[in-house]
Amino acid sequence: MRRYPGLWWRLFRLSFRARPGVAVAALTCRLLSLVTVPATGLALSWAVNASGAGLRSTALVGAAAAALAYTLNATVEGVGHGLGLVVVDRTGLLLLEPEILGEICGIDGLDHLERSDYLDRVSTLDRAAWGLVAAAWNALDSLVNLARLGIVLALLGTVTPYLTLLLVFAAVPLWFDVRGRRVLTRTELATAEDDRLQRHLFDLATRAAPGGEIRVAGAASDLVRRQARAWRNVHDARFRAQLVSAAWRAGAWTVFTLGFAGALALVILRADRAQGTVGDVVLAVSVATTVRGLVQQTVAKSAQTAESGVLVEPYLWLRRYAAEARGGEAGHRAAPRRLTDGISLVDLTYRYPGTGRNALDGVTVHLPAGSVTAVVGEYGSGKTTLVKLLCGFHRPDGGRILVDGVDLAGLDTRGWWRRMAVAFQDFGRYQAPFREAVGLGEPGDLADDDRIRAAVRAAGADDLLDRLPQGLSTPLGRDFGGVELSEGQWQKTALARACMRRSPLLFVLDEPTASLDAPSERAVFDRYLRRARDAAGDAGAITLIVSHRFATVADADLILVLDGGRLAEAGNHDELIAAGGRYAALHAVSTRGYATTSGPPPPATPAR
Amino acid sequence: MLLRALRPGGTVPVTLLCLGYGGFALLPAGSAVAMGLLVDRVRQASGAPAVWLPALALFVGTVLAGHLIDAALEPLRYLVRARVNGSHRATVAALVAGAPTVAVLERPAVQDLIRTASGDPQSWTEQTPGDGAVAQVGVLARWLAAASAAAVLVVFAWWLVPLLAVPALASRAIRRRDLLRVVRVWAHGAGDGRRADYWKRTVLSPSTGKEQRVYGFGDWAVAQVLTAVRAMYGPIWATTLRVQRSGAASALLMLLPLTVAYAAVTVAVVDGRTPVGVQVAVFLAGLGVYVALGPTWDALETEGALRVMAAAEQLRDVLAPVHRRPATAPVAPRNGRPPLVTFEDVGFGYPGTGRTVLDGLDLHIRPGEMLALVGLNGAGKSTLTKLLAGLYEPTAGRIRADGVDLRDVGLPRWRDQLAVVFQDFVRYELPMADNVTLGRASVPPDPVARDRAAAEAGLAEVLARLPDGWATPLSRGRSGGVDLSGGQWQKVALARALYAVHTGARILVLDEPTAHLDVRSEAELFDRLRDRPAGVTVVLISHRLATVRRSDRIVLLDGGRVAESGHHDDLIRLDGRYARMFRTQAERFRPGHPDRVDV
Repeated sequence: MRRYPGLWWRLFRLSFRARPGVAVAALTCRLLSLVTVPATGLALSWAVNASGAGLRSTALVGAAAAALAYTLNATVEGVGHGLGLVVVDRTGLLLLEPEILGEICGIDGLDHLERSDYLDRVSTLDRAAWGLVAAAWNALDSLVNLARLGIVLALLGTVTPYLTLLLVFAAVPLWFDVRGRRVLTRTELATAEDDRLQRHLFDLATRAAPGGEIRVAGAASDLVRRQARAWRNVHDARFRAQLVSAAWRAGAWTVFTLGFAGALALVILRADRAQGTVGDVVLAVSVATTVRGLVQQTVAKSAQTAESGVLVEPYLWLRRYAAEARGGEAGHRAAPRRLTDGISLVDLTYRYPGTGRNALDGVTVHLPAGSVTAVVGEYGSGKTTLVKLLCGFHRPDGGRILVDGVDLAGLDTRGWWRRMAVAFQDFGRYQAPFREAVGLGEPGDLADDDRIRAAVRAAGADDLLDRLPQGLSTPLGRDFGGVELSEGQWQKTALARACMRRSPLLFVLDEPTASLDAPSERAVFDRYLRRARDAAGDAGAITLIVSHRFATVADADLILVLDGGRLAEAGNHDELIAAGGRYAALHAVSTRGYATTSGPPPPATPAR
Repeated sequence: MLLRALRPGGTVPVTLLCLGYGGFALLPAGSAVAMGLLVDRVRQASGAPAVWLPALALFVGTVLAGHLIDAALEPLRYLVRARVNGSHRATVAALVAGAPTVAVLERPAVQDLIRTASGDPQSWTEQTPGDGAVAQVGVLARWLAAASAAAVLVVFAWWLVPLLAVPALASRAIRRRDLLRVVRVWAHGAGDGRRADYWKRTVLSPSTGKEQRVYGFGDWAVAQVLTAVRAMYGPIWATTLRVQRSGAASALLMLLPLTVAYAAVTVAVVDGRTPVGVQVAVFLAGLGVYVALGPTWDALETEGALRVMAAAEQLRDVLAPVHRRPATAPVAPRNGRPPLVTFEDVGFGYPGTGRTVLDGLDLHIRPGEMLALVGLNGAGKSTLTKLLAGLYEPTAGRIRADGVDLRDVGLPRWRDQLAVVFQDFVRYELPMADNVTLGRASVPPDPVARDRAAAEAGLAEVLARLPDGWATPLSRGRSGGVDLSGGQWQKVALARALYAVHTGARILVLDEPTAHLDVRSEAELFDRLRDRPAGVTVVLISHRLATVRRSDRIVLLDGGRVAESGHHDDLIRLDGRYARMFRTQAERFRPGHPDRVDV
């Protein structure tokens, strides 16, 4: 908690930079609100006393002051709130959010997007920018409200010191309100899971996509029933919590009101004995009746400020984490202009944090410059991990990656990326104009239509481009009313994006074709094989093709078979078939149905 | 309309709510009177508490009543809101889920209607029916509060009522208009807001995060976020600032009349025409008129709720014609035998696309056979299965089961015989057991059939790894839940369909059921399908002709109709399109082949 004031202060400075005039006006409204309540009480008491005493002009001034004070009281808060919102919006969305997103983007590794403990924080930060600035202003509002409460009680104290005793009675509701609120928050958390379920089931019952299966299975009414049950579970529990909280509050305010009644009787007695005036009674009443509102606002604002902890902690964590990532021993060497030797993996080992098994385990192999290497293996064999290490997203736990003899860890990561092209299995389906969906592969060339067209051609996506109604400018994706592409078309777009790099040293196809059937995948690979061999010449580029299908990579110069993180076999197709090992067996399974003789099919399951 | 929406709230809670609001509305006027009375009594009394004590008690009573009613209203509001919304959502869910075909749900206009009618606010500008119904009670209470405060003013002079009420109403109208204006500007920016969110997610998602790093478009994506934010919020900020200025200006509508009224009563007191108590009562009641008519937030709630309810009403109209077509054919005894399904000259095109997918299709699906559907992408294979499932109706021709038109069989009865694995199968965030038994929800869950289906779908090893076995929810978002991989989910979907078969479905349709499976699982699955129990028809769609070749019959779709049909050997002998496709695929699996045709 100790770091919070520093953070709030920083966010305020940002706020005043964002829109100084509005911020000053918002602040002024808050300061004004400090005095409007006492002013109404004083003006009222003044008017009543002067009227009773027959002082015409004094009484009229008091009456006018009362009207003014009431009007200010009714206006200032609303206007201040509206102005504050604009300041919070602008500061949060235009200044803080880009800063947060920039920090997240700027971290070279991927741990913060993959490890669940980090990811929880990062996904909280998704909407945090606005919330953080709002929390800073909430903190200010809490202070203002506390001050208002204090001023009001002090004013009552001027009538008679006994009235300051109301402070004690006001503390009761303050404390009870907090308790009641805690019950609500606890219940809300406890029922959040059922609430999510309720939403999920409603979504299933009303969306078209799952509608087919649900109708055939006759599951619709079952889902509707489950949704209604989950809804009831959530809201029954929350209603009970509301009752508890209401009981706390009713009790608390009864105590306060009785205390207030006693104090008021005292004030009246004093007026009776001519130690006070009728105006004092009016003052005491008009001011004391605002105490409830002030207490409730103070509690609400403080609770909101306290809740901001769920945003502040991840934010402070991100700043620390990003600073550490920047300060880490990153390499500074530039990537070579061309590969002469190739990339060597030396005893490469990696284990994901929090898992009990090496995802890659002592892999040693040399990928010669200009070669096409295929990595095959079943799910979980370490293929994707290998790609991520080559990308520098993770640092190996053991062993090294040598790029023409230089440790990858010693290279400047961004420079290395600029010499890489990758099409991942989970490639992006960017809801943007086709030009950008492709051009993002080399953001510097986004304005170069010729370059983009060349990449489209290289990826064999010209037919797709020809079919787009507005050519390169066609917006893609249904999200924003663009043209929806088929899976195969999205994938061609991803491949075109990967073709934007002018002279990559490493070109990786990490199963971007996994959702295609095997023959189509093979067709894509064939195209890249040819292209790779054409392109390899000048830069000595290495092409790495990853697949879980053993039959589609037969033409590669080098095939690496991974199994459980270890390199099980390596060689070209003929060598591996001749070796009669794992590759040979699985290749046989994949192709067995295509025997040209039409005899009975061979046994289904290959011997392991 | 909104008051009628209160009905699901229940008689007792709604009555209490109305009483609470009504009582609360009378309090400002009540306390103004009590206060005036108290002041007069205090001035009269000299040392005799008996004179002012009743007045004090009355005043304290109003204050206490205010606190207690306020505390009680909170849970009441919550309960009524939750009940109204729960009933509304259940109605909408049942309405949409009850539409027998999905064609109508796919229309973008209908999707928008469903989105709006769901009453699930995505931002502060959207409201629920419950919000609106409760707010409507609040609005009525406001008028009551204003009227009772005005009644107190009449005690001094009748003309105070128009003097204060007219400007108070005008000010309310201005602020109400301003609020709704801000809401409109907000709603208008929703598209840009979604765009900002989209690029934000792109930066934050691990998958696009990889591309963003290697390609280096992080700064570009952040710039996209900023552009969208500016586009959305620019008008919002401008309007909000304008509204604050108009709010400050409309304060004059309060200041001037209030000053006149206060001055008038003050002069009367000074002149001795009126007691001080009346002055205090007028001060408080005059303020009370403005306080009662002050907040305009309820306008937002009622307007928002009316939008949601209107959407639900429209949805009912749209879905009404497709609901309820009675089955007219008599129930024919089945004896567990699958029906003969015939497509007769069937034509179909997806609504709104203008493209014909099926055109004059004639096809028999024979009882108990294993039929493979093959063809290029877009040949209409998946569409055929959707027509078979009755999700769409043919635009021409008809589909019959044992000679009876599907429309006369009645969709629920027809679907009872089907089990389908769709390409985009459903991932229920429910326990594994429910994920399987929801394959056939019309019968009570059958653990024996479930276990058998799981074993056949290769689900056993997945199940063995689940912390809680069958009871494990398949979503990490639920306590004790886990997320499954694509391949594991596919096995769940298979088990779900096989469960339906074991509990009575007679036609099993598999649309690319192995896209996420590895070679070994795929091979095992097809062996099992061939050894399936007698009396089940299997319709299989696959790109892998090596798998398909072992089917009883292969049907090649092309140009929206059946181009070739027969056993693998027959089709190879025919040397037509199938034979060519098969050779092409076989070729691809040999190294060093020339790149000829794209499949």
